[in-house]
Amino acid sequence: MDLDFSPIADSWQFLARALGVTILLSLSSILLGVVIGLVVGAARTYGGRIVSAGLGFYVDSMRAIPVLAVLVWTYFAFPLLIGHSLNALLAGVLGLGLHLGAYVSEVIRAGLGSVRPGQLRAALALGMSPWQAIRVIILPQAVIRMLPAFGSLFVIAIKDSAIASVIAVPELLRQSQIVAGQTFRPIEIYTGAMLVYFLLCYPVARGVDAIYRRLAPLGAS
Amino acid sequence: MILDWSVIWDYRWQFLHGAGITVALTVLTMLLAIPGGLLLAFMRMSPYRLVSMPATAIVEFFRATPLILQIYWTFYVLPVALDIRMSAFTTALVGLTLNISSFNSETFRAGIQSIRQGQWNAAYALGMTKAQVARKIILPQAIMRVLPALASTWVSLFKDTSLVSVIAVADLSYVSLQIRAQTYRILEVLTAMAALYWLMGYPQAKLVDWIYRRFKVHE
Repeated sequence: MDLDFSPIADSWQFLARALGVTILLSLSSILLGVVIGLVVGAARTYGGRIVSAGLGFYVDSMRAIPVLAVLVWTYFAFPLLIGHSLNALLAGVLGLGLHLGAYVSEVIRAGLGSVRPGQLRAALALGMSPWQAIRVIILPQAVIRMLPAFGSLFVIAIKDSAIASVIAVPELLRQSQIVAGQTFRPIEIYTGAMLVYFLLCYPVARGVDAIYRRLAPLGAS
Repeated sequence: MILDWSVIWDYRWQFLHGAGITVALTVLTMLLAIPGGLLLAFMRMSPYRLVSMPATAIVEFFRATPLILQIYWTFYVLPVALDIRMSAFTTALVGLTLNISSFNSETFRAGIQSIRQGQWNAAYALGMTKAQVARKIILPQAIMRVLPALASTWVSLFKDTSLVSVIAVADLSYVSLQIRAQTYRILEVLTAMAALYWLMGYPQAKLVDWIYRRFKVHE
């Protein structure tokens, strides 16, 4: 078997742009996921039973439906409902963020729940408003405890962004497919793409671990 | 907008067949990935670097790259590299097994290492061999501790089998996308696809929650 890596060198600009889209897609879906996760996680921790049950249904449904199904539904079916076509990148961010948000909310719920309820009561007794108590007392401790789980979710978000290739978002995997199809060099291209994803995900995983090791004492109470 | 849900009923056997392939892939992959994960875990804990290094490399690599790319890679590279021909289903099974074995190996490693060193020492003092200690003392306890994590992996695996549709394995998502292309009833077919995954996955997610409560370790 003779390998020829020149197709990667020839279309490096095309692939570099695709890598940029992968990073943009991952970051945007994380951002959306964190916003959804914060709202849902906080509402399930501090909201009433009905709120908690309703949002629990959303979380458990997202745990049950594959990202692929969410993405194709958001891109192909959802526009028919709203009567307005969606840009692939936007659909990708929406689908991935909606899926990730459920997982983020569980991490946030576990983190908020890990801070003893006595601390909330003590903060309220000092005259803080509930929002103040959560923001100033509970969250700073909880966020540090959530770090390791956030690290894994960050990596999952990058990996899941590759699934958006199915709805033709011009990210790294999709563009690699195009180059592989044009040059008939799938082995070299997919191996190269694999290495790039590894170089993207592995430092994130290890980096978050390292940050957590330094900050862990701050989260102890 | 006019909805026509009769397509779903017309294609019910195709949907069910696709769902069957999805379930079969999940079960077969897990059956292969449990021994695979154990093997990788024991290799990684080996004192010989020649044994532990390759296992570490495999596990870290497969955990840090997208599964969908691993499936493409298995599809294009493995047959050429090993000079074999595989059906799409076998390719999918190999790709999923490699991925899930890596995740399982970390679960098993954590489970095995959670058993105190004193138990090994005690078993050695009773005259057991290393293999005996692992089989009779450590594994039975470790299995109870890894069960929740294994159950979570199971549900992720069930969802991730949808990715094999990209190499034309006729699972639920591939079949649904085909029916969508044939009938143009996009909203109905894709909603049915999500609903079928939900019907199968939701009870599993709830079962995982129950396993977590049931097998929670109280230190």
